[in-house]
Amino acid sequence: MSLAKLLQLASPTLPVGAYSYSGGLEAAIEAGTVHDAASAERWIGDVLEFSVARMDAPILLRMMSDQKDWNETYLASRETAELRAETVQMGYSLNRLLKDLGMGEVPVSEPSFPAAFAYAATQWKIEPEAALQAYLWSWLENQVMAAVKTVPLGQTDGQKILLSLGNGLNVLVEKIKKMQDDDIGNFAPGLVLMSARHETQYSRLFRS
Amino acid sequence: MRLAEPLVSSWKASLALDFSFADQKTILSRKIHDGPLVVQKPLYPEGGGVCHAIIVHPPGGIAGGDELSLTARMEKGASALLTTPGAAKWYRSAGPWAKQSVAFDVEGTLEWLPQETIVFDGALAHSEYDVNLVDGAGLIGWDIVCLGRTGSGERFAHGKLRTSMQVRRDGKLLWLERGRIDGGSRLLESPAGLGGEPVFGTLYASFAHCDKKILAAMREPSPIAGRGAVTLLPGILLARYIGDSSEAARRYFTALWRILRPALTGRQAIEPRIWRT
Repeated sequence: MSLAKLLQLASPTLPVGAYSYSGGLEAAIEAGTVHDAASAERWIGDVLEFSVARMDAPILLRMMSDQKDWNETYLASRETAELRAETVQMGYSLNRLLKDLGMGEVPVSEPSFPAAFAYAATQWKIEPEAALQAYLWSWLENQVMAAVKTVPLGQTDGQKILLSLGNGLNVLVEKIKKMQDDDIGNFAPGLVLMSARHETQYSRLFRS
Repeated sequence: MRLAEPLVSSWKASLALDFSFADQKTILSRKIHDGPLVVQKPLYPEGGGVCHAIIVHPPGGIAGGDELSLTARMEKGASALLTTPGAAKWYRSAGPWAKQSVAFDVEGTLEWLPQETIVFDGALAHSEYDVNLVDGAGLIGWDIVCLGRTGSGERFAHGKLRTSMQVRRDGKLLWLERGRIDGGSRLLESPAGLGGEPVFGTLYASFAHCDKKILAAMREPSPIAGRGAVTLLPGILLARYIGDSSEAARRYFTALWRILRPALTGRQAIEPRIWRT
């Protein structure tokens, strides 16, 4: 496995537009739920645990090994118009990039971002567990950057959150690897409510 | 006195209904029931087009080991509104899981508007909900859950609730929600989860013509207590409630239903009388 390819896939310079999405965080800031470093870390850590680690992550792992149509399941699990648009647009952009790089195309119609990410990792022969770590890390980094920009937080606070939540990723990955299909879930009603409210938020920097 | 754990062996109950449409009237053309789950005599408070049916579970609650199954098939042209006479309850379990499955096959129009479900502390509850719509079919439904008997100050400190809701149209999955809710877990307190509130609910509507105009109208009402929000996904409208009151959730969803029903079915929203008793 090439470490350079793994870093490239996880990099915020990957041109998929991740920086334009906050995944509900901006609405949580608007509502005052997230207002400082501690509340930002709690929100991001909880969304990571209750939503990303229980739905995106186990599905990403499955997308790298079997042919079942997890893409349809993942798209149907997006609870709001903006959360769905986020994954569809990022999936589209990554799919187009892979095609331009001569890596072929994701073999599903309307690939979600995890589907495109899984396909890229497979093409680049990145091990599934490393790809999962990279996926979680790039999600985390994007969220922290959004918090730094919007709360706003100092750069050092942002790095502290990355260290703290980043330290928990190994444990999370072990849990995700053990998950059965029945354990997969997307119940995060507070996140969903915030994301739905973001659709009508007057002042906003992000598309989700 | 109602015991949390009935002293009888577990109950398995099932009810299967078919609604068909003939001579401008929706009729309950077939019902098969086994065990304590029944449907009352169909009512026609708005003429023959829509059949109102009340689903009754005489034991009043589901205990560990019980299995309940409700299925309904709506033939093309048939319209039915199904509701329940009171809150459903999941009792505390001494060990076995209780299961409820609700499945609908819809070629006509179905409204599934049950009263809230109360999950007692210590319940082990597994709830599955599956709807298959065909092209041209319509669905409006809601699901309101209250964790713990909040009236007596009970919290959902122990127990587990597993939920699965899926809506498909022509085989394609439109919406999926799977909840893994453990009593006393961080999810209950987290702002990304339930934020310390015991009541959550979802209203969903899927019609061929769910559009942004209806979405805009649905953004107008707000709950009298708690928080609500709506969104439009491809082929399905969703509204959410989080708060401390099942009554506020029901009133909020009823207000949305008053908008949705005329827009999607061309019929005014007439509240079933059973809701007022």
